[in-house]
Amino acid sequence: MEGLIKLWSETGLANFEFGQLVMMAVGLLLLYLAIVRKFEPLLLLPIGFGAVLANIPNAGFNDEGGLLYYIYHVGIETGVFPLLIFMGVGALTDFGALIANPRMLLLGAAAQFGIFATLFGAILLNAIPGFDFSLADASAIAIIGGADGPTAIFLASKLAPDLLGAIAVAAYSYMALVPIIQPPIMKALTTKEEREIQMEQLRPVSMREKIIFPIAVLGLTILFLPAATPLVGMFCLGNLMRESGVVDRLSKTAQNELINIVTIFLGLAVGSKLSADKFLTVETLGILGLGAVAFGIGTASGVLMAKLMSRLSGGKINPLIGAAGVSAVPMAARVVNKVGLESNPHNFLLMHAMGPNVAGVLGSAVAAGVLLSLVGG
Amino acid sequence: MMDMTEVLLEAATLMGVGMIAVFSFLSLLIVAVMGLAKLAPPLADIPEPSQALPTSPQPANNATVVAAITAAVQQYRKAQ
Repeated sequence: MEGLIKLWSETGLANFEFGQLVMMAVGLLLLYLAIVRKFEPLLLLPIGFGAVLANIPNAGFNDEGGLLYYIYHVGIETGVFPLLIFMGVGALTDFGALIANPRMLLLGAAAQFGIFATLFGAILLNAIPGFDFSLADASAIAIIGGADGPTAIFLASKLAPDLLGAIAVAAYSYMALVPIIQPPIMKALTTKEEREIQMEQLRPVSMREKIIFPIAVLGLTILFLPAATPLVGMFCLGNLMRESGVVDRLSKTAQNELINIVTIFLGLAVGSKLSADKFLTVETLGILGLGAVAFGIGTASGVLMAKLMSRLSGGKINPLIGAAGVSAVPMAARVVNKVGLESNPHNFLLMHAMGPNVAGVLGSAVAAGVLLSLVGG
Repeated sequence: MMDMTEVLLEAATLMGVGMIAVFSFLSLLIVAVMGLAKLAPPLADIPEPSQALPTSPQPANNATVVAAITAAVQQYRKAQ
């Protein structure tokens, strides 16, 4: 009898706390979004499962000695996983469209206004009782507006590890929602004539330019913003492996096996941060709300900048491509292409939108570096 | 409340400095990329197809010539 009671006291049923059940439900919701709705399944599936594992009573996944504890400790606390992912993203990125039309970098810069405006908004939220975001917290939340998962996780792990779970989930959820969030903003800010503008074909870019580009980017980062070199450096390494053409094996590994392996562990580690005491707070609601605002403002400022450039260039630039300035590669560029096709079925903007799109990746890495050096120090 | 305005001011400064930093960094990169386009002759290593064109018809021609000759030889042997 005593044995039975002891066994009962060890079951999940006897030990469940309400918060754990809620968080398991959140995990299952993420699994549903990944499997049925196909929202960023590569990340939401391991994150959702990680959330379920992390909230099992008595299993101790998150305690010292537990699996998720170590994965988080090794990969995220150190910042290694997001940086490895960034190397893979670099190996997957073709800068051709940006090198052919470097002015697109301005769009990638303008869209980062979403980040800095949200930073202000997060501090403003402190006026409501229940919210207490420090400047570091606000910066980590604001980077959601960069629409770049690895950058958001990297910055959050450095500035606000307690909020990491909510920030990562918000960042990836909104990236999946880009096709829903962006089009209304893009249409509201442009006229039909502007959306119909066709752009000149891009010039071909030589291999030599593509090889020198990542080295030049790294050089500038070293000179002016060393705080961004972890992100930009790994990104440029991946890109150089791709473009140099002499290490195809390494480039393929970075693009496929390595990024896949790291994604599994990154997802699990983020999921492990979805524990009841950290996630079930009003702050999470604030983060989710601010994330949406950040995406909206980033899209709007990108489009407005593109409008300005369109005016100055005498109508050679379709303002829609500004929306791609909020990284989210390649989803945002595809959305631009789709909205463009709705106005003019013969207007393919995809290649033109790839320029601002990859500029957005650089822009959010630079913004992260700025925040790190101003707030992190 | 005093504290609040102070933090807000700090956030506003951060917003200003951040945007200026991002813009000036990426503007610098624009200049660098434009310089890059000037330095590296843009089409230096692209015209591979024009080299490939004159060489490709040669073997094809040879093949048809060889085929024609073999056909002729076979016909000649059959006729004998």
